[in-house]
Amino acid sequence: MTADRRLGHWTPVLLVLPGALLFTALVVVPLGLTAWLSVLDYDSATGIKDTVTLSHYTAILTDGYYLEIFWRTLRIAALTTLICAAIGVPEAYVLARMHDPWRSIFLVVIIGPLLVSVVVRAFGWSMLLGSTGLVNQALHAFGLGTVRLLYTETAIVVALVHVMLPFMVIPVWTSLQKLDPAIEAAAWTLGASRLTAIRRVVFPEIMTGLLSGSLVVFGLAASSFAIPGLIGGRRLKMAATVVYDEYMHELNWPVGAAIAIVVLLANMLIMLGYNRLVEARTRKTLG
Amino acid sequence: MTFLTLERLGKQYGNSLAVETISLTVERGEFVSLLGPSGCGKITTLQMIAGLVTPTTGSIILDGRDITHEAVNRRGLGIVFQSCALFPHMTVAQNVAFGLEMRGIGRAERDKRVADILALVQLSAMAARYPRQLSGGQRQRVAIARALVIRPPILLLDEPLSNLDAKLREEMQFELARIQRQVGTTTIMVTHDQAEALSISDRVVVMAGGRIVQADAPFQLYERPATSAISSFLGRMNRLEAEWRAGRAVVAGIAMPCEAALRPDGAVSLFIRPEKILLAGVGGGVVDGRVTSRFFFGSHWLYRIDTAVGALTVSVPNQGLKLEDVGDAVGLKWPPDSLRHGGGISGAEIV
Repeated sequence: MTADRRLGHWTPVLLVLPGALLFTALVVVPLGLTAWLSVLDYDSATGIKDTVTLSHYTAILTDGYYLEIFWRTLRIAALTTLICAAIGVPEAYVLARMHDPWRSIFLVVIIGPLLVSVVVRAFGWSMLLGSTGLVNQALHAFGLGTVRLLYTETAIVVALVHVMLPFMVIPVWTSLQKLDPAIEAAAWTLGASRLTAIRRVVFPEIMTGLLSGSLVVFGLAASSFAIPGLIGGRRLKMAATVVYDEYMHELNWPVGAAIAIVVLLANMLIMLGYNRLVEARTRKTLG
Repeated sequence: MTFLTLERLGKQYGNSLAVETISLTVERGEFVSLLGPSGCGKITTLQMIAGLVTPTTGSIILDGRDITHEAVNRRGLGIVFQSCALFPHMTVAQNVAFGLEMRGIGRAERDKRVADILALVQLSAMAARYPRQLSGGQRQRVAIARALVIRPPILLLDEPLSNLDAKLREEMQFELARIQRQVGTTTIMVTHDQAEALSISDRVVVMAGGRIVQADAPFQLYERPATSAISSFLGRMNRLEAEWRAGRAVVAGIAMPCEAALRPDGAVSLFIRPEKILLAGVGGGVVDGRVTSRFFFGSHWLYRIDTAVGALTVSVPNQGLKLEDVGDAVGLKWPPDSLRHGGGISGAEIV
């Protein structure tokens, strides 16, 4: 009896332990090491020192070079999310109204970008958008002259939207699946036009899917590395690429770590705020 | 006075005919049920009236106006869907107010009409609830209120009670009938449940294979079904194969008292409902038999009785009278008018 009770007392701890260990080893320890690294002093002649300093943070947050990169990262991620929503929601709506076999076929088409390696995909875009690429050849053929597309923010956003779209379409499609198809018809019979029915009845129902999709797209876009690295070129840096540069080219690990921590905190702040919005919405519609 | 007319209405999907041809007139204030097995075209017919499906042939005339090709959101008919189709993110009051909002009716009048209709369906206390917080029956009543609040010329009900459990379904049938009588809206209900159709409609339209088989008042339909298919679809029916000879029906050498008719000699099918057969003492009836099985249904008993003229099903009300046991010998009798000929149209039966 007492032995049982003692074991019962420890059961939750034992159940949590494996997951907790894994989480500690894979997330908490590396994060802690990064945070520790970010407050260590650095000298270009002697390398990392043992003295603790907050100078990296003050340097990053006052240097216009870094601030511009942070601002660009935020802008590109927000724009990608917005465009994904604008394309993804109608796409999911059309997908939900399709019948098999077309639905299955187009589902594969939508998930398609995820099946191609990110490097191959990025090179594909640089071939399309380059100064002698397909887009410019087409513009040239119509006598419109060439446009500089590669190594611009536009190119990064285009490539990001391409790969992030499935992360928007799938959650929206899932919430559409849960919707009773008669609901739209009910709105029509009550006098709503097609557009009003979508706006007043369908849209509020897929809001949860849209918000969670945006969360995923924003997070992935803000921390993307390969696409800005290959399509943005050397000059157009985003948060992840500048961290890479600090580590691998400048060999200034503490500054790289400090940037990583700043980006992480900023991302977390934005996503937590956003998540509160999602949850408030969900509580209202689903209870 | 004819209010709604369906004129040779038909709908074809590719090569399959959902509705072959439907011609029907509905009076103002009438409660009409479309009854039939699944795939008989009753739902397509309802959807064509609602404007959700465009007919391939024929026309729909409402109060002298051709509405065949009018858009669903301009038609203004009230529709209750099988799934209720309430808007999940809106409260009961917002759901009901939606149709009024779409009509641009001002706040004050909107609130008043919503309150009135919720009182009618006895849900005033639930106005601020969300659909997920309601029971199945309450949801159904909200759907009815939402359809009625716009004061539609016609209320269309698509199997409104099929998602409810048996007990609640019966309660809602009476509730639906009460609301319809009170508001007086012309109502067309689609159902596959014959009890539902018989109990609350003024007229039942039996459909099969995309056509109307019989349209009649419930009592007429039950008592005088046009075909044996209808008779066995509506309740239970005993069937006897008889020989018609010189104005009398004879089965296995026994003369059957049946309704009078002028018909040529030959084979004839006779029909009698189980509740029309009465138990009598042995030798005291038309034919004697032996009870082979007995089933209890609460309100009545159902006997299977083997007789010289074949196996008959007999229903006896549960009135606390003497019970026959399996193996008991009984006599059977019936009022002659209850044993009917298989319609005048044997051979021309549909289905």
